[in-house]
Amino acid sequence: MAALGARGLLRPGRRWFSQTEPTAPSPASGPLYPPVVASLTAKSKAAQQRRRELFKQQVHEAGTVEEKLRLYGKLQRPKYMVYPQTFALNADRWYRSFTNTVFVPGMPPVAAAAGAAPEAGGAPAVGAPGAATSPGAATDSGAAINPEPAAGALPPLDMGELRSLACDALLQESFYQNKKRPFLYRDQEHTPGPFLTQLVSTLAAFLSGRNPLLAASSLDLKPEVNYYWQHGEEVVAHGHRKGRVDPVRFQIDDKPHLQIRVPKQLPEVVPLDSNLGDVPVINHKPSKLPLFKKQYENKVYIGSKVADPCCYGHTQFHLIPDRLKRERLIKARLEDQIEVVYRSNGIASLFAWTAAQAMYQGFWSEADVTRPFVSQAVVTDGKYFAFFCYQLNTLALTAETLKNNPRKNICWGTESKPLYDVVEDGNVKDFNDEVLLHLVRFLLNRPKEL
Amino acid sequence: YPLFQRGGPQLRIFRPNFFMLAVRPGVPQPEDTVQFRVSMEMTKVDIRNYLERIYNVPVAAVRTRIQYGANNKRNHKNQREKKPDYKVAYVQLGQGQTFQFPNLFPEKEQDTETRSFDDFRSKYMEKEKQKQEGDPRRGGVPDWFGL
Repeated sequence: MAALGARGLLRPGRRWFSQTEPTAPSPASGPLYPPVVASLTAKSKAAQQRRRELFKQQVHEAGTVEEKLRLYGKLQRPKYMVYPQTFALNADRWYRSFTNTVFVPGMPPVAAAAGAAPEAGGAPAVGAPGAATSPGAATDSGAAINPEPAAGALPPLDMGELRSLACDALLQESFYQNKKRPFLYRDQEHTPGPFLTQLVSTLAAFLSGRNPLLAASSLDLKPEVNYYWQHGEEVVAHGHRKGRVDPVRFQIDDKPHLQIRVPKQLPEVVPLDSNLGDVPVINHKPSKLPLFKKQYENKVYIGSKVADPCCYGHTQFHLIPDRLKRERLIKARLEDQIEVVYRSNGIASLFAWTAAQAMYQGFWSEADVTRPFVSQAVVTDGKYFAFFCYQLNTLALTAETLKNNPRKNICWGTESKPLYDVVEDGNVKDFNDEVLLHLVRFLLNRPKEL
Repeated sequence: YPLFQRGGPQLRIFRPNFFMLAVRPGVPQPEDTVQFRVSMEMTKVDIRNYLERIYNVPVAAVRTRIQYGANNKRNHKNQREKKPDYKVAYVQLGQGQTFQFPNLFPEKEQDTETRSFDDFRSKYMEKEKQKQEGDPRRGGVPDWFGL
């Protein structure tokens, strides 16, 4: 107290410095006052914008991928549940608009050319496959178009052996094995399900000698694939949040029959910014599809957790359920919806899988992918097979990021073709080699370095 | 009616009150969807059969819901007045057909007589209004205000 009193009397008007001599004031090392920004908690548009920026910054700065996914899906609100296997009419057009996908019928030319190389040796000698047998092919590893270097040392694929493998699996499941009659509406899991599992596992094991990626792959039985995303905006119609502009949220919870995950990514089919068509624009609410809303966990999952080394997708196998079978659709006079079922399944499942793979690598709608993610899928009902290849070019589907986003995701798909005609008395009639060859090509797909 | 035993002739005729009224959707619907108000006793199967057999309209899918009529308004005796409930059916047409609800009250082209009459009427109303207002020089102050 005495010191204070003494200081007051000392030299009024002069500052009391701890150092004796009054020096010039030091130049300001930084701003003297904190930056003038909008409030965080006010009920204003500027505050809302600042909260959004804070959320984006938090997700960008998250240390691990698990933390990013946790923050990304932290806020739960009612969202549309998108089912890849749906009875809704013309669902594939709606799904393309939700996922910003272009559908190209037929298979991409690169995959066709790369697959043409390990052609059947059983077929009569053709010029290009004949070159595969020459040992000289092993030396030109620099040629980008020639994918034979690895296969050049191996004998060409024997179509007969592959056919016998497939027929064995089919006959075992449908003819040799004594099964009881299937329960009502459980036909698909009685015969085609086990046949598909058996076929894929035997083919994958047979071809793992040719494709080292398959040898290092992981085959999942009935895995779960989930993805949560936002696309566009809508005005809330009812409830305490009525009148506010909200992003439209979607969630896919898919359970493919089989899935092959690999440690290395498949190569890109076309460059990242290619434009192969148009995305359909639908101005109606998704509930008119019909699509229904529910609020539950926002899950992003590829089939294994983040730490798994096989974090990229190779091929998925989907089995069409009983209520969407061909016969039922024909009986209900919905023949044009048969292909729609296959297409919507391919597009939705593959979008969810590739986008979840991209999120596992740390990309999200604000941090768009820098390289395309490619995956394949086979959709079947036991007899008819349809093949799909999906390239994910963009994850930015929210209203702000979609405005200036020229990139589109691309899905190539074929029509459904039968693998065989009918199984009678231990014989498989009219076995279709093309379909089997297509399946083998899919399994042999690998990055160019291998 | 005679007692029915299995195998016997079915002599009863049921005539349910099945009606369908095509309405303009309040919320915009996709092109292949038609909105109907149907009788409360009709099911989706009934609606499909009705359209397919009577009108030969290919039906791909039918979805129905029941709209509850409100019970909040009160009459002069303070009794609640119920608006009747009704069932709404959304029918998706098959074979790629589309339907757009027509505009039932289009604007008719007026001929010269009606147009000139409308002009005359609007001019007359303007003159009447000006007569009602007072002197513009008084600035809107009524004419009884003064000394």
